[in-house]
Amino acid sequence: MANTALTRPARQVTARPAARSRSRRRGQGAAYVFLSPWIVGATVLTVGPMLASLYLSFTDYDLFDSPRWVGLDNYVRMFTEDDRYWHAVTATLEYVVVSVPLKLGLALAVAMLLNRGRRGTGLYRSAFYAPSLLGASVSVALVWRAMYGDGGVAGRVLGVFGIDVGSMVDQPRYALLTVIALAVWQFGAPMVIFLAGLKQVPKELYEAAALDGAGPVRRFVAVTLPMLSPVLLFNLVLETIHAFQSFTSAFIISSGRGGPSDSTLLYTLYLYQRGFTDFRMGYASAMAWVLLVVVGLITVLLFRGANRWVFYLGEGRR
Amino acid sequence: MTSRTARRGARILAGVVSVALAGVLSGCGSSSGSGGTQTVRFVWWGNQDRADATTKAVALFEKKNPGIRVQTEFSGYAAYVQKLTTQVAGGAAPDLIQLDRPTFGEYQHRHVLADLSRYTGSTLRVDKIPANLLAGGKADGKQYAVPAGQTTQMLVYDKDLFDKAGVRVPENGWTWEQFAKDMQKVGAATGVAGTTDFGWAVDWFDSWLHGRGKQLYTADGKLGFTAADLEQFWNTTAALRTKKGVSAPEATTKMDGSTQNSALVLKQAASEMNYDSNLTSYLSSYKGTLKTAPLPGDDAAHSGMAALPPVYFGVAQHSAHKDAAVKLLDFLVNDPEAGAVLGATRGVPANSEVRAQVCGAATGDDKAVCDYEQRVQQRMGPADTWQWPSGSSAVKTDFQQVYDDVIFGRTSVSAGAERVVENAQQALEQ
Repeated sequence: MANTALTRPARQVTARPAARSRSRRRGQGAAYVFLSPWIVGATVLTVGPMLASLYLSFTDYDLFDSPRWVGLDNYVRMFTEDDRYWHAVTATLEYVVVSVPLKLGLALAVAMLLNRGRRGTGLYRSAFYAPSLLGASVSVALVWRAMYGDGGVAGRVLGVFGIDVGSMVDQPRYALLTVIALAVWQFGAPMVIFLAGLKQVPKELYEAAALDGAGPVRRFVAVTLPMLSPVLLFNLVLETIHAFQSFTSAFIISSGRGGPSDSTLLYTLYLYQRGFTDFRMGYASAMAWVLLVVVGLITVLLFRGANRWVFYLGEGRR
Repeated sequence: MTSRTARRGARILAGVVSVALAGVLSGCGSSSGSGGTQTVRFVWWGNQDRADATTKAVALFEKKNPGIRVQTEFSGYAAYVQKLTTQVAGGAAPDLIQLDRPTFGEYQHRHVLADLSRYTGSTLRVDKIPANLLAGGKADGKQYAVPAGQTTQMLVYDKDLFDKAGVRVPENGWTWEQFAKDMQKVGAATGVAGTTDFGWAVDWFDSWLHGRGKQLYTADGKLGFTAADLEQFWNTTAALRTKKGVSAPEATTKMDGSTQNSALVLKQAASEMNYDSNLTSYLSSYKGTLKTAPLPGDDAAHSGMAALPPVYFGVAQHSAHKDAAVKLLDFLVNDPEAGAVLGATRGVPANSEVRAQVCGAATGDDKAVCDYEQRVQQRMGPADTWQWPSGSSAVKTDFQQVYDDVIFGRTSVSAGAERVVENAQQALEQ
């Protein structure tokens, strides 16, 4: 466009800006037309229901009769009168605090092993990635429940080592561990991202560090970690948000009840029970909004803290 | 970009969008009643044997009524309730619905069920169904659901394990104290717990209350028991738990009424309390010899046992095929051929003529149910037949959840009982 403008005669100079903005608008018009399916979907299927849910959280709605305004009653009841709510919060926090570091740690360790580039790396990479494709499914959770239940494989394997643990899924002490194990088993997705990040670390840095006499541990701490820190932040934020939203594994492993004595009562599972089993949609909506706010806050905190330890190549350390 | 390219781009886009829309719209507006065939959706919960029998009965109905097709769906109890709620709330309720006392109360209060009064006497025959069974499906004097059978409480036990411990069922049934002693005996002699811990289900608490002249809910929808009652009930099981009289917590926590999670079937208890409508399911899945005995009670006059409908059938208020659904309901409950096929999978038939016919010709598992009902006829007392209030579903799940905390030692029996009563009162208020 610029080239043709230069070669045009002078009398068209004044018309140029108008012509340019008109065609720019036409270009934007086409862009909006292509965007419209997504915009419609986002408004009707995401934002709309979110706003409706916000309204419902201030009502008493049982899915059949019309909603009845109760103001902050749901929120007050949630925080002061509901014991199971705190069971759910405790179980979810336990789950997130244990599963996310384990998952990321395992993902990083395996990524570093695969980065050596030995034979069969491609095969191992696919093998480790496969669980994260299947893991969120109902069938895998059912198999998991059978594995860790009465007479399951896990019990028998532990029995070989002399540990008699019985049915892990039916005991409050171990039930959440089985759910955590299912989450950690799906480390393939963050692993692949770490692998990509590792491949981008310039080899000269490692060579320079080795020349300066740095051992493998020092090289990891001083070169790998800082260079990986943006990827680490990305994985950390995504996995934390994902962990707070976990539902299927807990639902299937505890047969929908939240596990022996609320031990696997994750927040979303309790929300589901309140909404669909107890017909209290207003309360469930209030719970959903509290979760949104809390997860949002945690994400903001993660990003704030990131300023201190995340290092982007090409910038100076802050 | 020149205007010509822009116009061509817009035309291509328009073409793409119209093709996509055409595809979407042709996908809609499909099926649902071609010509004169109506499709009725029928849902129920239960085990495999009930599913097999019901599918056969439905096929029989379709043969007799060529203009009506029946689409069936079944699942386990918990999943059934959640799925049904979502379907009803979304306006896609099934036409013929299986219900139990808590769900009947919930849905009737929320005007989900159709009033069947205009069908009773014509398409829907209820004259051969005992009045006490029918009463459970009535609300405000109108019939909203029809009982699908008759059942009563029973104790099913493994004959070999009981023989090994030298325990026999007393002539006039057990008292609660005798029962406790005998269960401990079984646990000590065989290594398998005497009975499944019965504190988990609100049903056995209800029977226990009946024996004392109380009930779970009063006729005006309030709680009929106190925390002290519940504490006493749970203390009996607590005493048994330490001496292998009742099943271990890991086994009890799995209980949900289905046979695959039953502690008896999984050989973690030597006996179990349940309704005789589930007897055929036990008999088909248990490896060993099972026998039945009446529930423990204080004496024959205060046995706590009653003749109840195990499940009801109701029709959805907003169903587009009410007449066809009612026809199917009438067939399942009153037709002798249907009765023969369904057998005792929902207890003995509610229709007394069909019951006499079915029990007269019954063999195998069905015969076991008929015989049991006959044997305990005298022990059955009056049932409270009023409708359970809205909120009874939440009370049922809360009861089990608090008991979970109790058996794993996370809360004491008295604190747990208080919590159940508190939560129940809250649930009933709403």
